[in-house]
Amino acid sequence: MQVENALEGINQAGSSIGILTDEGITFACERDVSSSLLELSKHSEKIFCLDRHVHCVVSGLAADANLLIEVSRVHSQRFRYSYRENIPIQELVRHVCDIKQRYTQVGGQRPFGAAFLFGGWDKTFKFQLYSSDPSGNFAGWKAIAIGKNHVAANSFLKENYQEGMTMTQGLDLAVKALCKTIDTTNPSPDKLEIMYMTKNEAGELVAKTLNEKEVLELLQRNNFQVKQKE
Amino acid sequence: MSIFDYNGGGIVAMKGKNCIAIGADRRLGQQMKTVSTNFKKIFRMQDNILLGLGGLATDIETFSAEMEYKLNLYNLRENRKLKPTAFVSLVSSTLYEHRWGPYFVSPIVVGLQDGTPVISTYDSIGCTTDTENFAVAGTAGELLYGLCETYYREDIPAEELVEIIGQILLAGCDRDALAGWGGVVYLLTTDNLHIRELKTKQT
Repeated sequence: MQVENALEGINQAGSSIGILTDEGITFACERDVSSSLLELSKHSEKIFCLDRHVHCVVSGLAADANLLIEVSRVHSQRFRYSYRENIPIQELVRHVCDIKQRYTQVGGQRPFGAAFLFGGWDKTFKFQLYSSDPSGNFAGWKAIAIGKNHVAANSFLKENYQEGMTMTQGLDLAVKALCKTIDTTNPSPDKLEIMYMTKNEAGELVAKTLNEKEVLELLQRNNFQVKQKE
Repeated sequence: MSIFDYNGGGIVAMKGKNCIAIGADRRLGQQMKTVSTNFKKIFRMQDNILLGLGGLATDIETFSAEMEYKLNLYNLRENRKLKPTAFVSLVSSTLYEHRWGPYFVSPIVVGLQDGTPVISTYDSIGCTTDTENFAVAGTAGELLYGLCETYYREDIPAEELVEIIGQILLAGCDRDALAGWGGVVYLLTTDNLHIRELKTKQT
């Protein structure tokens, strides 16, 4: 029952979309920010780096998520210390999910009210995208939406996802799906956070967060009437 | 025989004008036997921080891995790079964590903080010495000191510093039976890192 409540909590939170393409992974999310009085921190409140080769997006209780992010960062570094290698993405996801599951079965404590999207690259399975929920269940995806209106977003993704997309097409799809969840045709760039992971010409993995101007260009390219900041 | 003399090595670091250089030999031995001639003793921890380690080879590898572990977590949590002076303290506190079962290493931290050179050296349990000019470590340490005193002056330009460190390393490690078999010099300037490999007498 507690697990169901936790899952419900996630569905009220700001949405997050993840898309897997041949060229890499893109994340698009809606900021939960409500007040103009809020001092925006320099780093993201939703997208976190777990190690050089894997990032995650948070949905739900930030405090619960922060704890699990710390756990996964340490786990990834421990792996690196032992094996001098990047941790396989699935192992990292499984580790976090095992902890979440424990809180649904043991101890009488409430489950973590946090759902994640994990995205990264490893040498076994190349680019991968996973989602996990408060029950500790996880799955690999080609495209996935979590949070508010995820049902609508997921059916949109199901219809419009194609194999062999480029990164640009992936970004377009992500932003369209995200705007479906916000349910607006004129989104404001400061409410959106978009990042992608890809390999550059040298074959190195790079992660880039779009700045406000680039988000604006992406929205305009997809024919959204953008609401300017007052 | 001391545990610090088992594998052998020679590390030397020197400050220059807005630059810093650190050099090390490449020998890995097991007492009198040479086992490898390309053993890494200098580790790039960050763009502007290098860590050189003398002492027991297994501890050189593990200690540098532990420092990388801590540095990576710092970057992830703080979302910023570590300052060289902060790294100097981190090495010291990590060494002291193992006060009762220490790493048998002699670390030298070398860095550029806002263009200013930083060198620090330690004993195996974290006693920090912030030197103003140069630092040495390893079985060839004492031999390297003499050459450092002779060749050091204030504000050595970068191109000259590489040469000087190279000569010091070659001459010093030649005298030590347990150090040598090749050398490598890292020159850190505000723009980039320049790595030069040295050919030595193969004895």
